[in-house]
Parts: sequence; C-alpha cells; structure tokens
Amino acid sequence: MNRAIRRLSLACLVLFVALMLNVNYLQVFRVNTLASEAGNSRTFDAQFHNQRGEIVAAGGPGKQVIIAESRLIKGGIYQRYYPHSYVYAPVTGYDSIYGSTSAFGTTGIEHAENNLLAGTAPSLAVHNLIGLISGKSRQGATVYLTISPAAQLAAYQALTAMGKPAAAVAINPSTGAILAMASFPTFNPNDYATLDSRTLARIDNRYRRAASQPLLNRAINQTFPPGSTFKIVTSSTAFSTGKVANENAPIPAPQFYHLPGSSSVLTNDGGAPCGNGNPPIVFAFTVSCNTAFGKLGDTVGGAALHQYANLFGFNNPNLTIPLPVSPSNYPPLRDPAQIALSAIGQFNDAVTPLQEAMMAAAMANGGKLMRPYMVSEVQAPDLSVISQTQPAELQQVVSPQVAAYVRTMMLSVTHNPSGTAYATAGPPATGIAIAGKTGTAQNGVNNTNLDDAVFTCFAPYSNPTIAVAVIVKGGGFGADAAAPIALKIIQAYLGQH
Amino acid sequence: MTALPSAAATMPPRGGLPVAMPRGRRGTELAMLCFAVVIMACAYASAGLGLNGRIPSGLIVYAPGFAVLMAAAHVTVRKFAPWADPLLLPLAALLNGLGIVMIYRLQQSGRAGNPGFQISTLTTHAASYQLLWTVIGVAAFIAVLIVIREARVLQRYTYTLGTIGLILLAIPAVLPSSLSSVQGAKVWILLGGFSIQPGEFARIALAVFFAGYLVAKRDVLSLAGRRVLGIDLPRARDLGPVLVVWAASLLILVFESDIGTSALFFGLFVAMLYIATQRTSWLLLGILLFLAGSYGASVLFSHVGERFTIWLHPFAGTNPTDAAYQLVQGLEGMAFGGIFGTGLGQGQPFHTPLVQSDFIISGFGEELGLTGLMALLLIFGLIVQRGLRAAVAVRDPFSKLLAGGLAFVLALQVFVIVGGVTQLIPLTGITTPFLSQGGSSLVASWIVIALLMRVSDSARRPAPQPIQDEGLTQVVRAG
Repeated sequence: MNRAIRRLSLACLVLFVALMLNVNYLQVFRVNTLASEAGNSRTFDAQFHNQRGEIVAAGGPGKQVIIAESRLIKGGIYQRYYPHSYVYAPVTGYDSIYGSTSAFGTTGIEHAENNLLAGTAPSLAVHNLIGLISGKSRQGATVYLTISPAAQLAAYQALTAMGKPAAAVAINPSTGAILAMASFPTFNPNDYATLDSRTLARIDNRYRRAASQPLLNRAINQTFPPGSTFKIVTSSTAFSTGKVANENAPIPAPQFYHLPGSSSVLTNDGGAPCGNGNPPIVFAFTVSCNTAFGKLGDTVGGAALHQYANLFGFNNPNLTIPLPVSPSNYPPLRDPAQIALSAIGQFNDAVTPLQEAMMAAAMANGGKLMRPYMVSEVQAPDLSVISQTQPAELQQVVSPQVAAYVRTMMLSVTHNPSGTAYATAGPPATGIAIAGKTGTAQNGVNNTNLDDAVFTCFAPYSNPTIAVAVIVKGGGFGADAAAPIALKIIQAYLGQH
Repeated sequence: MTALPSAAATMPPRGGLPVAMPRGRRGTELAMLCFAVVIMACAYASAGLGLNGRIPSGLIVYAPGFAVLMAAAHVTVRKFAPWADPLLLPLAALLNGLGIVMIYRLQQSGRAGNPGFQISTLTTHAASYQLLWTVIGVAAFIAVLIVIREARVLQRYTYTLGTIGLILLAIPAVLPSSLSSVQGAKVWILLGGFSIQPGEFARIALAVFFAGYLVAKRDVLSLAGRRVLGIDLPRARDLGPVLVVWAASLLILVFESDIGTSALFFGLFVAMLYIATQRTSWLLLGILLFLAGSYGASVLFSHVGERFTIWLHPFAGTNPTDAAYQLVQGLEGMAFGGIFGTGLGQGQPFHTPLVQSDFIISGFGEELGLTGLMALLLIFGLIVQRGLRAAVAVRDPFSKLLAGGLAFVLALQVFVIVGGVTQLIPLTGITTPFLSQGGSSLVASWIVIALLMRVSDSARRPAPQPIQDEGLTQVVRAG
C-alpha cells in the first residue's frame, strides 16, 4: 500500500504546486489587468489615496504650465484640479471618479495616458515596488506635452471671442509636435473632478444633453468640408504627376465649367471669370478659381487624387496623437463630375482641423509629413524619464520641389493684393510672413446653411516653425472668419505682432 | 530544538542489539506551539492597529484563552500520544488562530467607526463564537486522543460508522429547505439559531467505513479482470460498491446542490480504493466517472452549468456584477493585495460576499498578500505531508488507509476551495479547513488532526523491548 500512498503524496504535491503557481500568477502577473477591470471597487477607492501625476504644457515659448494636478483636500484624499479650467479642456480631457474603473471615466490625455498618470503602468512597476517597501502611497507619472501655453491660450481666447462652433490646431511642421488644440464650445474639466457621484451624474448629464456638444473635441473628432483648401492637394497631385510643370504654368480656367456627364455648371465665386481663361496655376490658386481646379481634378483623375490625399493623411482610421483622431475622408471616385467637385473640396470630402494643419505642415516641411504627437516626455515621480517621443516621419507626401511650388502659391494667397487672405493674413494685417490657403465650404441641404470658414497656413515663410488650421462652422468666408484666429495663434507663438 | 532530552533517546539500548529509537519531540512541539500562539496574538494586535490604530481590548481574552486551549491540547498529547508527530498540532493551531483573527477583523469592518462596510452576514460575536467553537474543537481533539488509543479499534465500527456517515449525508437532503438550505446549498441542519454541516463529520465517518471495508475486500478488488489497452479492468461484479458510492455522490450533487462535498466524498473513496488495491485502473475509472458525472450535471442542471460559465468568463457581460460577483470581488481583492498584502485590517475584503467562510482565502490573499497565501498553502501542504508520512510509516493496514484517506481528502479540500477562489478550477462552495467561520468544519478538522496524530503515534511508537532480566519471555505485540 505504501507505493500507492507515495504516489498519492506526489499527486498532493502536484495539487499544491498548481495552487501556488496560480496564486503567483494571480497576485503578480494579473494585478494590473484586474486592477483596471471595469467596476473594481478597490481601485475605485484607492484612486483617492494615490496622487495622480501632473499634466504639464511644456511646448514653450516661456515657462511650463501645469494644466492638471492632484491636490490633497482632506484626510489623505486627493482631488483632480485643472488650474486653467476651460483653456486646455480638449487637451487634458477630464478624470472623473470613475477614471480607474470605467473606460468612460476619463477622456483626452487623462484617458490616453491613464496608466501612467495613475501609476499603474508596467513601466512604473519597479518604482511602485520601491514605494511599497518604503511605505509611500502610489504616485503617478508626470506627462509633459508639446502644447505651447501661449498658442493654446491665444487659440482658446480667439475661438471664444468668435463665439461659433470652431476648432483650431497648431503643429510644428518640422517635428509634428502639436502646439495648440482648441475647440469651442468646450467644457470645464473641474466639473468632472467632483468626488460626489450624484453631482457628477448631474453635470455629466447636462453636458451630454447640451445641443452645443461641449464635450466634442472638434479639432480631431469632427470633420468638415475642406472647401478650397483642398486645392493644396489637387495642385500637389498635378505637380507630382507632371500634369502641371511648375507654379507659373498656365491651366485652363473657363468662366463656366460644365461638369462632365452632368447638367451642373461649376462657377467661380460670384460667377466671375478666372483671369484670361488660361492663367498660371499660381493665379488660379491665389484667387481660388473653382473652374480651374475642378477641371484640373478631372485632368489628374480620381485615382491620383485619392493616392495623394492618402499621402497627406486622409482615410487613416488609426492615427493617434495619442488621442484617437477621426479619419478625414477623401473617397475613391470614378464619376468625372464628382471628381471635379471633390478636387475643390466639395462632394464627400471631409477633414478634421488637424488634417488641415497637417496639409500646411507637410508643405512647410519640404513635402515631408511628420507624425503629429502631443506627449513629449513622461517622468516617473523620482524624475527619471520613462519615455520620450522622438519626432517620426509619417511619409514624404511630395518632392521638396513640388512643396516649394505649393509654398510659393500659398505665399501668393496672402501677399498678392488680389489674394483671398491678403487683407486678413497678409502685409496689411501683420509683419509676419504667413503663407496659407482659404476655404469657404458650402454645406447643408442644398447648401442652405452658412458656409464653413477654413484657413490653413504656416509661418514664417522662409523658416516655418508653426502650421495652423482653423475651421469655423458657419463662419462664412474663410479669410474673414478663420484667418484672423490663425493669425492670433501665430503671433502668440512667435511673440510678434 | 532540543529543549527536552527525550528519555527514550538517552536510554542505553538493552540487550545486545542497538535499536534506533525515535524521539517523541514533544519539546519541539511545545516550542512551535508557543510560536503559533505568539503569531496569533501579534496578528490579532496587528488587525486592530490596521483597523483603527489601537490594540484591540479583546486581546487580553483571546490570546491567553487560545494559549490555554493549545496548552491543554499539548498536555493531552504528551500524556496520551507521546510519540505523535510534533508538527501537526502547531500547524493546526496556527491556522485556527489566524482564522479567528481574520473573522475578528471582518466582524469589526465598518463597525465602531472602523473603515469599510459592515458585513451583514457576520454578527458582532462572530469571533467569540469562533473561539468557542475552537474550545469545542480542541475538546473533540482531546476526547479522540483519550478515547481512541489505537486507530484500528475503529475498524470494529466499520458498518456502524458507515451507516452514520450516510445518514449524516442524507439528512439535509431529506429535511425541508427551511431547515437545511443556506444560500442555495442544502447541506445544513438548522435548529433554532444553531447550524451544523453534517457533511463535515460524515466525511470522517465514511473514511473510517471505507478503510474498514477496503481492508476486508482489498484482495477481492485487486483481482484482475480483463486487460484492455494495458489497463487491468476490475471484474464487473466488483464494480458494485464503486458505482454505489459514485451514485451517492451524484445524489448529493443533485439534491443538495453541493458539488464540493460530492467531489470530496468521491475523491476520498477513489483515493482509498487506490491505496488499498494499488491498481491504477481504479483511479482512472474513478476520475473518468467523476468527470462524466460532472459533465452530465453541468448539462442537466443549470446551477452546475453556471459554475463553468462563471469560471471561464467571470468578466463577460453582466457576470462581474451578477453571477460572478463573488468570484470577481475575491480575485480583485487578491490582486489588490499583490505580493505583500495591504496588512491586516487595511484591505477591503468586505466587498467580497461570504468572505468569512468560502472566500476567507481571498481575504487572506488581500491583506497578507501572496506572501501570506504561500505561507498558508505551505502549512496545509505540511499537514497533508505529515499525515501521509504517518500513513506510510504505520504498519497496520486499517490505520494506513484511514490516515492516507484523511490526509488526501484534506489536500483535495484545500485544492477545491483555494483553486475555486483563485479561478484555477470552477468554484464550489466548501469550507477552508481551520480558517473558515463555522463550527462543524472546525471541529471536524480538529478530529482529523487528532486521528492523524493517533496514527502517527502508533507509527512512531518504538516496539517494546524484550526485557532480558526476566528471562526469555516472548514479547507478543499487542493487536
């Protein structure tokens, strides 16, 4: 019988070893997964006793600004605080008391960097272990952003002053670093920092039901028709495919363009003729002739336009900055009439303000599109650097030569007295050499709504350090509504007036 | 640990041959028992400090009371089982002490200004009752050691105890639900404010029955029938008793909604059958029968099937807030405890329903961490190992079977409940020996320890020496 008992002993050993291995797996390797499980009441309680990391706007010029921090309020309980309330709301998002236990408890950077801010990220495990042994409560990592406090404040103030649903994005063309991201109407993230769940429910309900959609980040999560700013893509395609030799090459520009295979007629603004009917492309671009670019669209073809739109960043559902960006839309088209309309930014074209800024930035950076990003660095509580973002190339959109042609045309828009943005972003308005493109997009059923105003630009022309896009919903003429906002952001960032 | 020089060890061997004399090692037992009591007292103080920063006033009652109980147990062992394994009593004492501390800590949660929620299923006297049950448990331990001087005397009561065991098992199934059902498990006898889980005692009675039955029938059962695929299959008519036990365990499963007890019951029988016959075929057959029975039950009975769903998908859909709430809270608690635990009184075990009974392991995991759980598992493992060791060492086949079966079923019980709580296997609600709140389990566990110590005492007792001074008298070993 002893042989059988010894074998049973072995079986018992196997049972206990299985239990021990499983307990190790549970209490070491599954800790983070289980802690972030929805509805984990322990994590929910623990968050109040841990100091969540700060979010800092560190994009210069000038000193860094703390835009989210956790403050000790009473009895070892921390509460989230946003010192600039509305100004950085689209950037920070909010962190509510459900932040650690529900995917809907956080938004913005608070959501995208939640594990680091809460201190639960695996990269902070060693640090947490040391803290555990020395008896300190868990502390989150500090997240440094590329956001420029000056540019962000200017964007926020300009949009608020305008008072219409609008968004603005500024990026550094040579790195892709996002310098400002503003959306109007917006919300006060401090409202979400309440520790009282009933107050939170009431406030959340109010924000969600508001017709003005204050929680919507229009800079990256809403798309608008690009209007004439899409002519940057159309001309880039034409130059790159050799259909137009350079910025001074003439292109056909009839006063009335009968859309192929359709009874519709495309006209210019106010039905005006476009130069002599066969002007240089730079002239058509400067005064934004629809007939010239509609016809040019048909000349280069739907496939080429789709290809170059994709290179500019359209139709990409996977872009994160690290906030997820809604894809901008340029559909593949076969119908010549639709291609012509899409070439001037109508039909089904749709862009986020960020996509607009990327278009200007790519041209400013010699045709090379940088991956847009917002987190520059993450620091552990002991100030050691956990991660640092290196600027990365998304793709070479067009050759440096083609980019130079487009830049010349964009400068003409603001510096040629007949240019669409001469008065609002050219020498009469500022000493800064801004180069840009206006867009005035028809929308609504039968185009009955007020046009959306679009402006995308970069500055200074000779050595671009900032690219800005502004879209004002129902703003009317692009140069009037959107360009002054872009100008204010550029002035604030460059520190010039 | 050479506190007391053992008389046996220092005695010069009489007669010509030197005989290796094992020592009783009671001094070692006493030292370790003191250690266990000190740990219990410190844990008790620590729980109070963790809860509200004060050493609980009950410490002056609980710690000395516990110490007196253990001293009584130790003195009994010295007198009635001097050769018994010195590890078993201290290990059991440590587990029992920690159980009392955890129940005290849970009972205090949310009461008298302490942090956390009040646990509605725990009264303010839960820890006192647990101590009271410890008194009864230790009394049973002492009684077993005094009354049963040799485990094999139980063999005489094979069929009596078998009958008692079956009756105990069957009572809750027969009783109306109002007198036998708590939270869906019909395994209780509820009388007034008093509740007993007869299954805990039935298991011991049946272990005795199996041991007696198998000692008598093992030769018959070992006879080979046909050999199929390298496995000796038993003869069809010998399958009878196995099928009866299998059917009985399935009946418990069906009528008492208690998968855990049924698994332990069947596991006990199969393990003892295997020890008796040494035939792997029985083992395989038993496992196959159990798996088939479980699968059938999971298909036929929704509450059994649900256990599997909860086990596989605790976080799916509404499970975390509904069917799998208890499991999920336990898992999240243990994850919250991590490697070192939150410290006694500083975790949130009150989120987990019934954390004082089935889920007490998750409470320990949360507050004492992985470190504490590993220690507890090692203690259980050691008890099992010491029990099996006694089974190997003892010469009498009945004692061998009894000790082997009891030790194995203890391992199985720990595996079923700890594995269930930690999501290793589907969860079935059974008690954790010595730790869980509840008198029946505690008293039954103390009886098991007493029986294992009794067997180890027989195993380690030196054979009587022939006394040459009195001539050539033949020594006849008793029994």
